[in-house]
Amino acid sequence: MPRKTSVLTTAAIVGLAATAAFAEYPERPINMVIPYGAGGATDISARTIAEPLGDAVGQPLVMANVTGAGGATGSVAVQNAKADGYTMLFARVGSHSVNPAMKATLPYTLEDFRFVTVYEINPVACAVTPQSGIKSMDDLIAKVNEGGVTFSSSGVGSMPHIASVMVLREFGIENPLQAVTHIPQKGGGAAATAVLNGTATFFCTNSSAVASFVANEQLLPLLVTTAEPVEGFDAPTAADLGKPALHQLVGWTGIAGPDDLPDDVAAKWGEWMAAATRNEEFRSRMEARGSIIQLMSPEKASEFIETQYNTFRTLVDELGMRIEG
Amino acid sequence: MSIVDSMLAGLALVANFESFLALGAGVAIGVIGGAIPGLSATMAVALTLPFTFAMSPITGILLLLGVYKGGVFGGSIPAILIKTPGSPASSATVIDGYPMAENGQAGKALGMALWASCTADLISNLSLILFAGWLASFALSFGPPEFFALILFSLTIIAGVSGDSLLKGALSAMLGLMLATVGLDLVYGTNRFTFGNPNMMGGLNFIAVLIGLFAIPEIIAMVWNPKAHDGNTRSLGRNWVTFQDYRKCFRSIVRGSFIGVFLGSIPGIGAAPSAFLSYSEARRKSPNRENFGKGEIEGVAASEAGNNGVAGATLIPLLALGVPGDVITAIIMGAFMVHGLQPGPMMFVLNVDIIYGLFIGLIVSSVFLFAIGSIAIRGFKYVADIPRGVLLPAVLVLCIFGVYAVNNNLFDVGVMFAMGWVGFVMLRYEVPAAPFLIAFILGPLLEDNFRQAMLMSGSNPVILFRGPITWFFWALTTITVVAIARAGLRASRGSVLAGDPK
Repeated sequence: MPRKTSVLTTAAIVGLAATAAFAEYPERPINMVIPYGAGGATDISARTIAEPLGDAVGQPLVMANVTGAGGATGSVAVQNAKADGYTMLFARVGSHSVNPAMKATLPYTLEDFRFVTVYEINPVACAVTPQSGIKSMDDLIAKVNEGGVTFSSSGVGSMPHIASVMVLREFGIENPLQAVTHIPQKGGGAAATAVLNGTATFFCTNSSAVASFVANEQLLPLLVTTAEPVEGFDAPTAADLGKPALHQLVGWTGIAGPDDLPDDVAAKWGEWMAAATRNEEFRSRMEARGSIIQLMSPEKASEFIETQYNTFRTLVDELGMRIEG
Repeated sequence: MSIVDSMLAGLALVANFESFLALGAGVAIGVIGGAIPGLSATMAVALTLPFTFAMSPITGILLLLGVYKGGVFGGSIPAILIKTPGSPASSATVIDGYPMAENGQAGKALGMALWASCTADLISNLSLILFAGWLASFALSFGPPEFFALILFSLTIIAGVSGDSLLKGALSAMLGLMLATVGLDLVYGTNRFTFGNPNMMGGLNFIAVLIGLFAIPEIIAMVWNPKAHDGNTRSLGRNWVTFQDYRKCFRSIVRGSFIGVFLGSIPGIGAAPSAFLSYSEARRKSPNRENFGKGEIEGVAASEAGNNGVAGATLIPLLALGVPGDVITAIIMGAFMVHGLQPGPMMFVLNVDIIYGLFIGLIVSSVFLFAIGSIAIRGFKYVADIPRGVLLPAVLVLCIFGVYAVNNNLFDVGVMFAMGWVGFVMLRYEVPAAPFLIAFILGPLLEDNFRQAMLMSGSNPVILFRGPITWFFWALTTITVVAIARAGLRASRGSVLAGDPK
């Protein structure tokens, strides 16, 4: 009897080891950390992909919002997690390219994560109120040179913060930090309100965050950073204005795991994402919100984020924007 | 299209079984979600959101609105029964609701909470329908200087909820202000008092502080002295709220509703300050001021009117401007967007049927809230009969679960227990907890708006007096502070005359 048991046990162990090593990932639900609050751009994007993605994975995806500190709290939770592919992160432009570029004290760097995909791109648009009398980027730059121009953002170290600075610099303002005043707000809704009620002159953010204001003629778009025009935005693209460097300035959402995530897990995610993003309903829902679905392989995603990070990092270093405290 | 046509078009959209079912189900989900500490109205709405994707726009949005309304009321149930506000908005309800439950009047307190909530809800919805445009333009005239003046005035509430000793209230508020500074600096983005811990970078979690401050001290006190409550069970009695109670509180309810409507229409304030402001106004105007904080039914009525008055009004900036007023309306806005609707002035032109459909649904939701709330109270009020030795351990489990669930972060549970000990020490030395909470909520708003105003003006303080709105709040603040100081002087002179050594 004992012998038989031990044989069985051995068999079971071998079997288990085989499942662990080979094709059986995932054998239990996968925890998906959303580092931003419920109802935000990342949250909605994550929950929209969760449906077709869950079908592709074949295991439930457990969505958890771990919020705080501009996405840092949730990112740290995944950074410290076991790299077994059962804890993954919805990474976002703010948490994984702007923040690492700007914050010296951030508890993680890009090297701490392995990206398995980027699936969503958000064009960035700059907007003013119609009452401001500003009708084009040239008008805005002229105003900036006069002085007294302010811009809002959803916080220090957020994408809209660096976006406004980068746009002004591309348009020939040598040191935007001196020329304009940054009035940080708490969150994207507050940033838009600040422009609407005249607290700030302009802001640059995800086109989806300003789409309804543009449709309602409350805000006037001056520029979109993509090469292609954005639907509903009657504004020149960065390409039209001869500023191709601004194409780098886009928002994105991707999925990442801890840095030592095994290759086969990353490959699996590549397949699942390919299946999930083919889903018609997913595409139409995301596109209704102004997103561009653009699936990147694990290698492509890492390269894309690295390039964007370096662009931002150079800008931050040149202007002395790095936050050391 | 005339108003009648629009109304009919809206009615055509709403008047079907599906919409009413969604609304009713939403209110029920909200009441239960709100009643579970830590789950809160926000979480309930967020969890319901994915289910609305497959529904027609109006049904989905009505479901979410139902959850929202139900959740705001539901939060008052644990606030009254177990001293644990189900959502931050009902923290003011604790001040008088819990003492009422202790005095065996749980049924009465819950009933009044429901009546006040429904009345405020109705007033709030009507304000949305009648004055949306006007209130929205009022809200847009609130820049950082106006906010600063308003918040400064709101801090005078602290005097109203300090109980017997203004000094202890001020001490409690200072503690709250200090703890609120933890986290990221708004303007420089630097870490403040985080001690290198990434968990502290986002500041202390509000729900964890809230539950730690109110519920945990009761549990520690119970462990400290398990026999203290033996013998006196909190019987419910047969008491139910009477129409006479309602009439007595009616003025406070209406006042609270309008405070809620005004604060709710301004993006970024939320329901908790409104409830506290309504409470302190009711106390100031009431003849039996002495009884506030010891189980005064008018206190419950005022706080619940204050927080439910916000619930309809937060839709004003959402629908009229496309700006979400708080986290919950931000989630609801997500539902609009998913269905390709873009909230804002043009929606009143392009989707007028949906707008009026929502209006009709909102009015109906007040009725649903009353019906479903009554049933819920009947179920929940027996919680007051459970012996403390059984109830409090269960509450502890709920608190830990709830605080963890907010952010899926164990650190928050630690914050809750640490705050529990702070709260326990405060309880023993009779330092009131409410001023702490008000300062914790308002402190960051005060600081942020002050600094934003200074950025706007290049550090010229004159901007803080830039228009009629700021003048109005500065005047109110001055009057209130003078009144508090005079009352304090009179009290100390009175005690001197009476030969009190103090």
